[in-house]
Amino acid sequence: MNDRQLLVRDLLVWFGLTGWALAIPGFGSDFVVSMALTCLMYVALSSSWGLFCGSTRYLSLATSAFFGVGAYTSALMLESAGWVESIALGSLVATAVAVLMGAAVLHLRGTYFAVLTFGMTELIRHAITYFEKSVTGTVGRVLAVVPERDTIYLTVLALASATVLLSIAIRRTRFGLALVGIGADEQRAQTLGVNTRLVKIAGFALTAAVAGAVGAAMSVRWTYIDPQTVFNPFIGFQTVLIALIGGATTLWGPLIAAVVFSLLAETLRLAAPQVYMMTLGLLLILSVLYLPGGLASLRWDTWKGWRDDTRAWWRERRHEWSGRKAREKRLARERRLG
Amino acid sequence: MAEGGKPVLLETRDVTVRFGGLVAVDAVSVAFRAGELVGIIGPNGAGKTTFFNALTGVQRPSSGRLLAAGRDLTGAGPHRFAARGLARTFQTPRVFGELTVAANIGFGLKFAGRRRRRWWLWGEEVDVPWALRDVAGILGLIGLREQAALPAAALTPSQQRLLEIGMALSTRPRMLLLDEVAAGLTEAELQEMARLIRRLRDELDLTVVWIEHAVVTLLRHVERVIVLHQGRKIADATPAEVVRDPEVVEAYLGDEMAEVDLTRPAGAAQPLEPGAEARR
Repeated sequence: MNDRQLLVRDLLVWFGLTGWALAIPGFGSDFVVSMALTCLMYVALSSSWGLFCGSTRYLSLATSAFFGVGAYTSALMLESAGWVESIALGSLVATAVAVLMGAAVLHLRGTYFAVLTFGMTELIRHAITYFEKSVTGTVGRVLAVVPERDTIYLTVLALASATVLLSIAIRRTRFGLALVGIGADEQRAQTLGVNTRLVKIAGFALTAAVAGAVGAAMSVRWTYIDPQTVFNPFIGFQTVLIALIGGATTLWGPLIAAVVFSLLAETLRLAAPQVYMMTLGLLLILSVLYLPGGLASLRWDTWKGWRDDTRAWWRERRHEWSGRKAREKRLARERRLG
Repeated sequence: MAEGGKPVLLETRDVTVRFGGLVAVDAVSVAFRAGELVGIIGPNGAGKTTFFNALTGVQRPSSGRLLAAGRDLTGAGPHRFAARGLARTFQTPRVFGELTVAANIGFGLKFAGRRRRRWWLWGEEVDVPWALRDVAGILGLIGLREQAALPAAALTPSQQRLLEIGMALSTRPRMLLLDEVAAGLTEAELQEMARLIRRLRDELDLTVVWIEHAVVTLLRHVERVIVLHQGRKIADATPAEVVRDPEVVEAYLGDEMAEVDLTRPAGAAQPLEPGAEARR
């Protein structure tokens, strides 16, 4: 497929999925809508994560920081401002935090970057907890003004589908190419004329803008928020896991994995929470070992490859167990010795 | 320094690079003029590559100044050097392995250092040699047109070296800095590479600075040689003078070089047949 056909395919899939998700509140039960909401939240979070971290290979664990900042902003704003304004402001504040954080840590790579983003997330969480305790005198906040279920759902759907559309678009721009170049060889990209510092901060801020907006929209779902809930590091980890298992560099990978995860989460978490966590871990290990490109890289040939590998492995074992291998080895040694 | 009256493209003034206690480049001052073909030689660890890194913003000099076309670029990032028309290759080819050969070239063209279009001329390309007009032009020049659709990782090492040059050319430079582009090539490939480099200078009018360990080939093709030894510049003269310079003989070249025939091999100026490298 050439570029144009790919674009048409991506847009058609995007259109179809959006339309389908749009219909869910119409016929789904409360349970289904709530599951779809979780799913859409992770679609938005991990697609935007993959947009920057997937292509540049900067592993950020700061998603929950932006999510939490967005959630707190909208929780504070909702009493005085409208729904859309609150979300926009949440997104804006998260973006500002990302620009500052990015300017401070984006010159680091690999583990250092990952650990520092996580550390800063914890720093923000504790700073807000401290502020709430010592200045406002409360730990949590009850959200009195809460929009309807469908409003929240449609907002998160709009955010998720906008994020996927953004991914489709950015892949085809100079900015997207710069991100890929940074991921492949940052210094080379620099010597070819890319202002990598600017591009990295912009990409990081873009991720944060989405995460902040999603946080702002999701805060009302809980009706009561405290730093423990909205800065929950698990949100950040799960975003990363979904993106990695789905294929962080791909467009549809994070989306596919988000669907798989939310199905797993809703079916397993209630019945057996430990099994859910173990499944997550197992899926990650399997995908890293056998499917480094993520779920999105699964093709018919991948299955055939696995089947052939397994068969070859069995052939080898049978050869070994029949004793023929040892005999051949012994014969070869005797021949060598004369 | 005022030979030929051509403008100075890049000038270093007492550029020094220190790594802890080690002085890798020690107060080197040189000027490169438009259209020159300059070689840099020196023993291993002489600071050649570090000097290149300093010249392209990859390594920030500890002290000294860097002037590109009269503008002070000391301490600027590599992209600013690229924007001033300075392109470089790396010693070990650093191509984008997962992208196709054509995409590797396209990358530089997208971010092309020198502004290619002036908005008031509505897309008319300014100041770009015909051979660097697009991906196909550059691929033809380096002879990789047939490999355009392959992922760069699938190329042979010598083809990757050509692609590395192509990527540098894709920023449409005024000045090209080549860091051991012929390392590991066979004798025939080496001659081909030297011819390509001459062609870049003669036909595209680029200033070329060329680091190479294949000293004889280098000395035959360049007009000026800079010799680095332990971070210091110990000579900066024509090849004929350099091979007789006692300090250079002592530090690097040895006595035998004085006897080697440094005349340019016949046919060197012949245009390289496009794709000759690819067909071998």
